Parts: sequence; structure tokens; C-alpha cells
Amino acid sequence: MKRGMYATRAAFLIALVVGLATLCFGARRAEAYPQFQFSSGTQRCAQCHYSPAGYGLLTSWGRDEGADTISRGGNGGLLHGAWTPPDWLALGGDLRVAALDNDAGSSGPPELAAFPMQAELYGRVGFGNTGLSLYVAGGLRGTTRPGQNSHAAQFESLMSREHYLMWKPSATGAYVRAGRFYAPFGLRTVEHIYYVRSVTGFNLYEETYNLSGGYLEEDWELHVTAFTTPPESLPLALRSTAHGSGGAAYAEKRFASMAALALQARVAKSTDQTLYQGGVVGKLWLDSAKILFMAEGDLQRRSTTGGGANQFVGYFGPTFFPAKGLMASLAFERYQEDLRVAGTAHTAVDVQVNYFPWAHCEVVLLGRYQMNGTGLADGPSDGLGMLQLHYYL
Amino acid sequence: MNRAPLSASSASSRLVGLVLVLGGVLTSCGSSEDTRPDKWSFISPVIIQPSCATANCHSQLAERSGVVLDTVANGYQQLTQRHFVMPGDPDGSALMALLRGQGSRRMPPDFPLAEADIDLIGSWIADGAKWDGPGSEPGALPVAKPPTSGGSQ
Repeated sequence: MKRGMYATRAAFLIALVVGLATLCFGARRAEAYPQFQFSSGTQRCAQCHYSPAGYGLLTSWGRDEGADTISRGGNGGLLHGAWTPPDWLALGGDLRVAALDNDAGSSGPPELAAFPMQAELYGRVGFGNTGLSLYVAGGLRGTTRPGQNSHAAQFESLMSREHYLMWKPSATGAYVRAGRFYAPFGLRTVEHIYYVRSVTGFNLYEETYNLSGGYLEEDWELHVTAFTTPPESLPLALRSTAHGSGGAAYAEKRFASMAALALQARVAKSTDQTLYQGGVVGKLWLDSAKILFMAEGDLQRRSTTGGGANQFVGYFGPTFFPAKGLMASLAFERYQEDLRVAGTAHTAVDVQVNYFPWAHCEVVLLGRYQMNGTGLADGPSDGLGMLQLHYYL
Repeated sequence: MNRAPLSASSASSRLVGLVLVLGGVLTSCGSSEDTRPDKWSFISPVIIQPSCATANCHSQLAERSGVVLDTVANGYQQLTQRHFVMPGDPDGSALMALLRGQGSRRMPPDFPLAEADIDLIGSWIADGAKWDGPGSEPGALPVAKPPTSGGSQ
């Protein structure tokens, strides 16, 4: 009888997600703000997210935090609290539109675009007291630059970036999950343009199929993942831009509810290259100043049949919380594609302001200036300005 | 022998110091001389794939303008057989103009390549744009794989 009940719940969840997803367009990315660790009074990503390492659907605690601590007011519950689903069911979604002004330094005028950035629905079904749950995210891919003969310009390009089965019997302790998601690694910023995502194997739609496990405690956590990319024979909705198979490990230690230090390593092998990665992630929250510092530094080795390249990828920056509902971040980024050649560096400065006027609502302003080369007139520079309007269910 | 527990401020100071030292040392590396191999099997995975084969551009998901650059073989086949690259003639190769934004939008539009990278690609083209990909004999071309949706630039 229980099996029948679980099957009904799973069928309900899948039907709901797929059905609602067809009304939407443009899934772009998951939701996770590493800036909220410590600054919102929470220590672990998994306090606010069902996923053990952050991203995606919010827990009831996360929804309350989203309204009471992060936004300027409102009810953070599903549909603003109009309907509370049963305990075994959690639902959510993200809608996001964006406009950008991108000057890549070409002979033509800057590029102006407005586009659907994200439209995605999430569902999670828990199976009684077993600790088991099924999580499915689905939407349709949007595109910044629609063009002819492109899948991305077609509305039927459904995308499910995350879908997994998880065993996680309690808030802390061991867990195991299998399915599609990003392996826990790095700062896990929302914006995929940051080098620590875009060139480390965690760019947009680079989610892999994983078998992952770990252990969560109040002041430390460990995640170990074996991953592979979806085969090309799968439908487009399940495909990934990632290549190769390998493993990743991330271990984080927290200090006095105000700092975290993590070590990480990853290996990915494809037909074209083997990528070896190792790095450090750190956070420091200064409560009196309302500033959170975040940093990540990774050394990478890309080994190919034609030769190898040792690389550095880094992020450092403060996030300031001047008032409730407001978050301002400054980031310095560096990607040196080959440490042998100074002229292969990319350096970026980003300014980002996130405003949360009311629960479920967000306005994002992002400015980015990027120098390509040493910065001494040996390469082009480019600038990006972006406005995003975001609503989550 | 008991050690005093690490205080939060001490840990924080060490963390910031470590990040600054690592960042400062590592990011100032490199010389002005480019000693990298001008081979496609190096250029594709190190330069082209991370910059161009992204979800919204030249991956198999998007196939922008029908061009897929996500592997050494696909990239070589598409660039040479669709004449973005003219072996031996970097100045006459459309790819070089696209990378420099000459007469068109610069590619990649959100992640322009450093001039050193563009020069390395130019050097590979000037040297005949040879195929040296994995699994093939020297000089052999990869098997042509038509894009899923076709299209032209």
C-alpha cells in the first residue's frame, strides 16, 4: 500500500513539474547565494536548501529566512502563503527576465538585448520516514541571442538540469544522492559568468550525472562525488555541455559561526583532455561591519595530447549588507589560462547590487569590466551591464 | 601536548593572508614570450572549448549558427570545412576577423580572447592548420559530423 502511495506521489510530482514547465520558457540556472552563509545567521547551505550543498528548492526554514531576514517583508511561503503543501511535498519555481548592454570591443556598436533568463519549476517528494526523496527541476531554455537553426531559439527545448534521488535521513549526518546536479565544488555563485564557475567545469548547463555522498555537521561538511556526462544519445532536455568523467571532493570547516575554510579537488577526463583541479575556498563574516568576504583560488592542469597548461582561477571580494533587503558585492577575478604566458590572463572587476523589496522578489544590477591579456594594452577589454528582475514561487 | 583551539579571528586572519599570498604570487606568473604549442589538439581544449563551446553559443545544445566547437574533432571539422580557417592564410581566415571583432561582433561576445591566444591561433593557421587530434594518424582529417540543425554563418 505504501508503495502505491509513493508511486502516486511521484507521478503527481512529475506530472506537475512537466505540465507547469510547458507554460514557461528559458531555464537558465539554479538559485543559490553563497553570500547568505553566516550573514543570514545560517551556517550551512543545507539549512535553507533541500540540496545538501545548496542550489534549488528552498526548505521551509529557507523560505522564512527569505522573507524575514533577507527581504524587506512579506510571506516567504509558496504562493505567498496562500497554500501550504503537505510535509511530503515541496514545490517552487524561478522566473527571471534580463536586459543587458554588452560591449565586447568590436568595431560595431555595443550589443543590447532583453531576454527570458530563467523559468524553472522544482518539485520534491519525500517518502515517509525513509529519508528518501525524489527531486525534479524542469523548464525551457532561454537564450540571450536567438538565431536561425538553433535549438535554443525553439520553445520545445525543455531542460531538466537537476533530477535526483536522495537518501538524507536527518539534517546532519550522512547522505547519498544519485542523479543530475552540480557536484559540490567551489563558491557556487549564482552568476555563471564568474571565472570560478565558467572555466572550472561549472558553467551553465554543465551539470553532470553523479553518485555523490557526504557528511554534514554543524561546523564541518564533506562531499565526495563521482560524475559522468550524459551520453549524446539522450534527448536534448537531458544533455549537458560538460565533457568527461571523474571525481570531485569538497571539505569545509567552519569557525565560530563567522568563517569557513574549504579544500577541494577534482579530476575530469574526456577524449580531448584531462583536467586536474585543486583549490581553496574561504569566507569571513564581520558582523559589526556587515561585510562578508568570499574567496576562491584554484590551480588547474589541462593535459592534452598537444601539450599541457597550468592555470590559475581566482575570486576575491566583499559583500556589504547596508540595510535589510539590500546586498552590494564587489568582486575581483583572475583567470590565467597558462601560467607560462603573462598575456593569457583575464582580469575582471564586478559590481553587483541585489535588492529584495519584498519576499519572492528581487532586482539585480550587475556591472562587469574585463581585461583580456596582461592589462597593458596587449588585449581587448570589454564591459557588461545587466538588469535582472526575478520572482520565485 | 594540548594546543589552544584556533580562534575565529586567528583563523580569519590566516585565511585572508593565505588567499592574498596565493593570489598575489600565482597571478603574477608568466613571461612575455609565448612558448605554447601552436597545435590544434592544444588550442581547442585549452582556448576554444572553455570560451566558445558554451551553453548559449557553440555547444551541441545551442549550435549557434550551426557551429559546434565542443571537441577537438568537431571544432577542426567545422572551422576548416566551412572555411572559417584558410590553411596557411591567417589574414584571409574569417575566424581571425571574428576573434578580433573586425567588421563584425567580436567572438566570443562575452569572453574575448587575449591577443596572445589569437596570435597562437594565427600561428597554427599560418603553419597550415594541421590536424593533430587524438586517435588519428598525422595528417588525417577527423570524420565529418554534420551539425544537428545545419545552418550557416
